[in-house]
Amino acid sequence: MFDSFKQKLKNVQEKLGTSIQTAFTSPPPAEASLPPQKAEKRSESPRFVDKVKTLVRDRELILTAKDIDDPLTELELVLLENDVALPTTDAIISAMRKDLLGKHRSIGSSIENLVEDTLRSALLGVLGSGLDVVSFIRSREKPVKILFTGVNGTGKTTSIAKVAHYLKKQGYSVVIASGDTYRAGALEQLATHAQRVGIKVIQHQQGGDPSAVIFDAIQYATAHTTDVVLADTAGRFHNRANLMSQLEKIRRVMKPDLVIYVDEAVAGNDAVIRADEFHRLVGTDAVMLTKADMDMKGGAAISITHTIGKPIVFLGTGQGYEDLRPFSPTALVKELLGEAVP
Amino acid sequence: MLDTLGSSLKDALKKLAGKSVVDRAAVEELVRDLQRALIQADVNVKMVLRLSQSIKTRSLEEEPPKGMGVREHVLRIVYQELVSLMGASAPVDLSTQVILMAGLQGSGKTTTTAKCARFFQRKGLRVGVICADTFRPGALDQLTTLCRRINIPCYGEKDQTDAVVIVKNGLADLHQVEVILIDTQGRHALEEHLIAEIIEIARISNPTHRWLVIDAALGQQASDQARGFHEAIGIDGVIITKMDGTAKGGGALSAVTETKSGIVFIGNGETIEDLERFDPSSFISRLLGMGDLKLLVERAEEVISPEEVDVNAILRGRFTLRDMYKQLEALNKMGPLRQLMGMLPLGGMEIPQEAADVTSTKMARYKVIMDSMTAAELDDPAVIGGSRIQRIARGAGATPEEVKELLKYHRMMQQTLKGMRGNKFNLQRLMKRFGRIQ
Ligand SMILES: Nc1nc2c(ncn2[C@@H]2O[C@H](COP(=O)(O)OP(=O)(O)OP(=O)(O)O)[C@@H](O)[C@H]2O)c(=O)[nH]1
Ligand SMILES: Nc1nc2c(ncn2[C@@H]2O[C@H](COP(=O)(O)OP(=O)(O)O)[C@@H](O)[C@H]2O)c(=O)[nH]1
Ligand SMILES: [Mg+2]
Ligand SMILES: [Mg+2]
Repeated sequence: MFDSFKQKLKNVQEKLGTSIQTAFTSPPPAEASLPPQKAEKRSESPRFVDKVKTLVRDRELILTAKDIDDPLTELELVLLENDVALPTTDAIISAMRKDLLGKHRSIGSSIENLVEDTLRSALLGVLGSGLDVVSFIRSREKPVKILFTGVNGTGKTTSIAKVAHYLKKQGYSVVIASGDTYRAGALEQLATHAQRVGIKVIQHQQGGDPSAVIFDAIQYATAHTTDVVLADTAGRFHNRANLMSQLEKIRRVMKPDLVIYVDEAVAGNDAVIRADEFHRLVGTDAVMLTKADMDMKGGAAISITHTIGKPIVFLGTGQGYEDLRPFSPTALVKELLGEAVP
Repeated sequence: MLDTLGSSLKDALKKLAGKSVVDRAAVEELVRDLQRALIQADVNVKMVLRLSQSIKTRSLEEEPPKGMGVREHVLRIVYQELVSLMGASAPVDLSTQVILMAGLQGSGKTTTTAKCARFFQRKGLRVGVICADTFRPGALDQLTTLCRRINIPCYGEKDQTDAVVIVKNGLADLHQVEVILIDTQGRHALEEHLIAEIIEIARISNPTHRWLVIDAALGQQASDQARGFHEAIGIDGVIITKMDGTAKGGGALSAVTETKSGIVFIGNGETIEDLERFDPSSFISRLLGMGDLKLLVERAEEVISPEEVDVNAILRGRFTLRDMYKQLEALNKMGPLRQLMGMLPLGGMEIPQEAADVTSTKMARYKVIMDSMTAAELDDPAVIGGSRIQRIARGAGATPEEVKELLKYHRMMQQTLKGMRGNKFNLQRLMKRFGRIQ
């Protein structure tokens, strides 16, 4: 996973390193040629400046736009080619530009670190902190109600089966609400999954009211002291007002503890638009990305969290019930920067 | 968020408006905005860079045609390059055929299989469907349910685990139908055993077409995935699904380039009826977030070469139904036939009253009927006999009389145009005038 993204990031890092090295060894340009960004820079990225301060030793390093433009343009392409959405790419690049431009006091041996730190802080700034679903469930009153949302075909139903299987292994009892009453074959699909992983399903007939099914599942959970209710919903597009208000109604009736929005790791720029709309119209607490086994580029993870500011909780990595990975932003960034062997 | 790109492109275009000399900086800005629009639409990044380079070079090096402003000149190049990138829309023929559907998990194969079945059914063909998905829970139920809604036979075996066996049996079972569609399980290029499976299905069924079903939202992954499928079974058409959302479908475009095929259909909704033939110009407009690109280009072209507007077709000796179809479209744009004929200095030549009286609604009906014809029929109407007339009528939802009327109209036009051929000079002048009127 991420292999090509990782390799390309590394190349860019090296280039940036070289540019900085060059700037470092050539005589500092005249004050007048410094870019205007210099003045505004300090207040906006204290974190980076702090880091640099600790590295202060003897010589002065001044980076100008000229030194970093090429490698940053290259980084921009790397991000875009790896499905980081355009607005997110813009944000990362401008954060890095701000961090690197202007006047730094630095030392020769820290150039590698300088680049890596900047990239890491840009990526982590975008990815935010994670959320551990198991400790979340532990901390809540039972039954803990989790609603799954998302557009058509992203993997909601399969993911519910995987999450149910995962929670069962952690010792929780689970019931699933078959809330997709629209799609042909949906009832049979979920019933088969649930039977295979040994989980109870509550279902009504095709065409029924999804809120009612979910309501029944919660009743069932309360009566049987089941720990977790996982509610499936029919896939829908964010630009269909009536379907979105139906989903909003489901949310009101269900009062979920957690709304997990499911999208594909291989989705392109539309991922941020729809994540944004789902968040705006029905609310999202956490994100799950599926199909990460398709040689995912990793970009959707970065752009979705950047856009809605919600943590990614799981990655789906295949069609088997074991193909589920809890997600940690620091682990992803470490992996991207080649600091850990997965 | 959605429209900002389209509007920044429009702004960039505005800067070129009214200019008579190509301004390098303005072109560069336009190309940059274009790049961003295409990347945001998920077109393969390398493709975008290549494309924008050639747009830039052509815009700066090619002389704008006489009478054409710089803005129209650049616009036209942008349009031409994009059209050539996406190729012609893949043809759909109405002969006896087997079609194999392939694609990633959840891309919309099953739904699209049912939609395509409906398409061929409407064209008056007997259709059957095979469910070769042995993996996904509920797959057979899903396809059976969809097919029952449109009364189409669906072959599947509930407990069979070998998709190849199902396909073999299904082909035998459905030998009496004219179009067989095979739905397969979702797979991706890295799943070797599944790629091997679909190669085997293709070997057994020897499909006429292998269509790749792609979700409009698929990102930069599209090229690699398409290559994987193409190497395995030779993709000859792409279907883009879920275009009713906000995704632009740029990934699918990369897949087309990768497979050197064309786009067959667009899926734009969850019901069986939500299938459209592909229209390059509306697709481009959506990619760029600009609604009126084709119109602008057309207007620009009318200014430079009014005499090209179909006159050559009119003057060609052989006048097929296909030519007539094009003409109906062109005439539709130019206004009623009577008005056109009225302006022609025909030197005493008589136009049959019936030909002049064909209304635009009638023309539209004729086009629908011609949509139900095969390629051979369009090229040579002489092959159309009684049974074909029946089939065409059924497919177009028309009466056999209407089909006969269309054929009669064609013969009449053929005659009329033969008589007109001597008047080439006048005809060109006429067309020029149309160019200016519009
Ligand atoms: N809105 C919309 N939904 C679509 C379209 N095409 C398919 N879908 C939906 O997308 C989801 C997946 O479609 P399927 O036809 O089951 O996809 P598939 O490729 O057969 O999926 P697998 O067999 O699981 O790989 C379903 O919810 C469909 O209703 C479309 O054009 N628009
Ligand atoms: N390769 C792969 N396929 C997946 C993954 N998650 C789901 N799928 C497949 O994607 C398709 C759509 O999944 P489904 O759960 O029906 O999506 P829903 O419409 O959102 O409920 C099915 O064929 C699933 O088997 C994943 O992590 N990797
Ligand atoms: Mg589902
Ligand atoms: Mg399917």
